[in-house]
Amino acid sequence: MSRSIWFVAEHQDGQLHRGAAELAAAARAVGDETVAVVCSAPGGTVAQQVAPFADRVLLVEDPSLEPYTAGIWAQAVVALAKEHAPAAILLPHAPLGRDLGPVLAARLEAGLMTDCIALEWDEGLVGKRSVLRRKLVARERVTTSIAVATCQRAAFSAVAAGEPGTVETVEPSIDAEAARTRFVAMERAEMGEENITEADVVVAGGRGLGDAEKFGVVQDLAAALGGVMGASRPVVDQGWVAHDRQIGSSGITVRPKLYFALGISGAVQHVVGMRESDVIVAINKDPQAPIFEYAHYGIADDLFKVVPALLAELES
Amino acid sequence: MRIAVCMKAVVEPQSRIELDGDGNLRREQLRYEVNEYDLYAVEEAIRLVDSNDGEVTVITLGTEGAVQGLRKGLAMGAADAIHIDCDPYALDPSGVAALLAAALREGAYDLVLAGVESDDLGGAQVGVLLAEELGYAATTLVVGTSAPSEGSMEVRRELEAGEHSTVEIQLPAVLTIQSGINEPRYPSLKGIMAAKRKELVEKTPADLGFAELPLPRVAALGLELPPPRELARMLEGSAEETAAELVRILREEERAL
Ligand SMILES: Cc1cc2nc3c(=O)[nH]c(=O)nc-3n(C[C@H](O)[C@H](O)[C@H](O)COP(=O)(O)OP(=O)(O)OC[C@H]3O[C@@H](n4cnc5c(N)ncnc54)[C@H](O)[C@@H]3O)c2cc1C
Ligand SMILES: Nc1ncnc2c1ncn2[C@@H]1O[C@H](COP(=O)(O)O)[C@@H](O)[C@H]1O
Repeated sequence: MSRSIWFVAEHQDGQLHRGAAELAAAARAVGDETVAVVCSAPGGTVAQQVAPFADRVLLVEDPSLEPYTAGIWAQAVVALAKEHAPAAILLPHAPLGRDLGPVLAARLEAGLMTDCIALEWDEGLVGKRSVLRRKLVARERVTTSIAVATCQRAAFSAVAAGEPGTVETVEPSIDAEAARTRFVAMERAEMGEENITEADVVVAGGRGLGDAEKFGVVQDLAAALGGVMGASRPVVDQGWVAHDRQIGSSGITVRPKLYFALGISGAVQHVVGMRESDVIVAINKDPQAPIFEYAHYGIADDLFKVVPALLAELES
Repeated sequence: MRIAVCMKAVVEPQSRIELDGDGNLRREQLRYEVNEYDLYAVEEAIRLVDSNDGEVTVITLGTEGAVQGLRKGLAMGAADAIHIDCDPYALDPSGVAALLAAALREGAYDLVLAGVESDDLGGAQVGVLLAEELGYAATTLVVGTSAPSEGSMEVRRELEAGEHSTVEIQLPAVLTIQSGINEPRYPSLKGIMAAKRKELVEKTPADLGFAELPLPRVAALGLELPPPRELARMLEGSAEETAAELVRILREEERAL
């Protein structure tokens, strides 16, 4: 029997998310047939946008499907999956997959693997995921007849667009009245006064700085290098710096010529926001910190010793 | 308003992570602490009952570190606690959710809060799976809540790249709480003393109707070291030496300064 792997197409404001081509790659790696599932309001073009990345597109259209809420999307996808019994359903490990993935798994009585960095088929869907702050990789296998998995962004390289797959419009099986979540509003990101995405030099500090006062050395180094200051999430959470400085998946993405990571461990949600920088320097007292895997130059030492020395050196 | 908060003991980031000869995690050298996201959840629950009346129950499933976590929740202001004494490594997330649901079902909670993910094994599953087990609605990545009214509440969800959405959710509901939603309080001495007198109910899986543990839907095949990546060029020496070398490299080799 041919193995059909589905992926749920992520989209917003009528635009397909570019991560869809990554999910298509993950699906193609383990299946014979790649199927994109599109849940959208009538009249959109998302199905046409995703068709070049899939063998088939299953399109469910209903006004209640946009904007997204887990409740109604789950109804649509679960009904389809019960009818067609795919081998697996893939989603992005992003707000969509975190919200919808476990609902699909529960309703289909399916095993769920999250944040996969690799997939293979070996008597079932086998996934690899990083655990224990990326110090180990776990291999797991879903043992139920349908598998659900979420894939880490950028872990799979996007497939190139090909011959568009066929688009089949399917009858929605939705009871919008039964949904217990309702979309109210969307807020766009607010840009700060200083546009840090355009800076040539970004000096970012993390929880390793200790407190708001000591965080000042990040600003000092940024100033000495003619750059701007950035931060990891915990720094923003604790209010040491403003939200618009947060670099990473839920913040901004920067791509400067020079990036300094001071006291930042290198969690994937941070790294996706800075790994394209031309030159990355990491200073962290833990020689095993994953940030050193992304840095070009590393200093495994106390930043409160190294940064003052750097400031002195830059002055000379 | 009755709120339950799920708290998990997770491996401390400073623990030594090693595999034994059979490729199993050396569990004896791990230390545990409360999952950070769960502290945000406890704080949010306490704030919600402070302004809307009610009580908070904290619940955990686990062995090592589990009860200490509950004590912290009680010291922060929870009224009572439930400990399901069960090896978490023997279950997959759907099993954890099934047992938690069995313990919470009778409590008729209006709201159950969980963390967005556990810091050690990071499934990001249990909160929503628990909602499905209980037949509750769920929303994830919550960074703001508003006062419930007429059986529903509005919550603010964090999306990517600085975007947020507002969602109205009907109660009873499960929310998974993201960091930064509040500033978790430190338990006061008074809180710590009061916690000692609060009720901590002990349950076994059998007490919850599980003669055998639920079968995993995801089988663990093994653990391995991450694939070697190209590591940074590490600069060695005193702070003065590494600083001087770095500045030289950035100026002369990279021409980045
Ligand atoms: C859905 C979701 C979205 C997220 N979005 C983001 C995001 O956009 N951006 C983001 O950054 N994170 C994000 N996170 C959080 C992320 O998972 C990590 O928790 C976070 O990046 C860790 O920040 P950190 O490296 O500063 O802190 P930690 O992981 O605590 O690391 C601190 C580091 O400092 C080092 N250190 C301590 N003292 C010193 C010293 N004196 N000298 C040198 N080094 C020292 C330590 O060795 C350690 O490596 C998100 C998480 C989730 C679940
Ligand atoms: N063993 C457990 N006991 C209590 N709560 C748990 C347990 N495992 C997970 N949770 C809750 O579910 C959240 C997400 O966990 P996870 O799905 O493991 O990433 C955690 O932040 C906890 O709130």
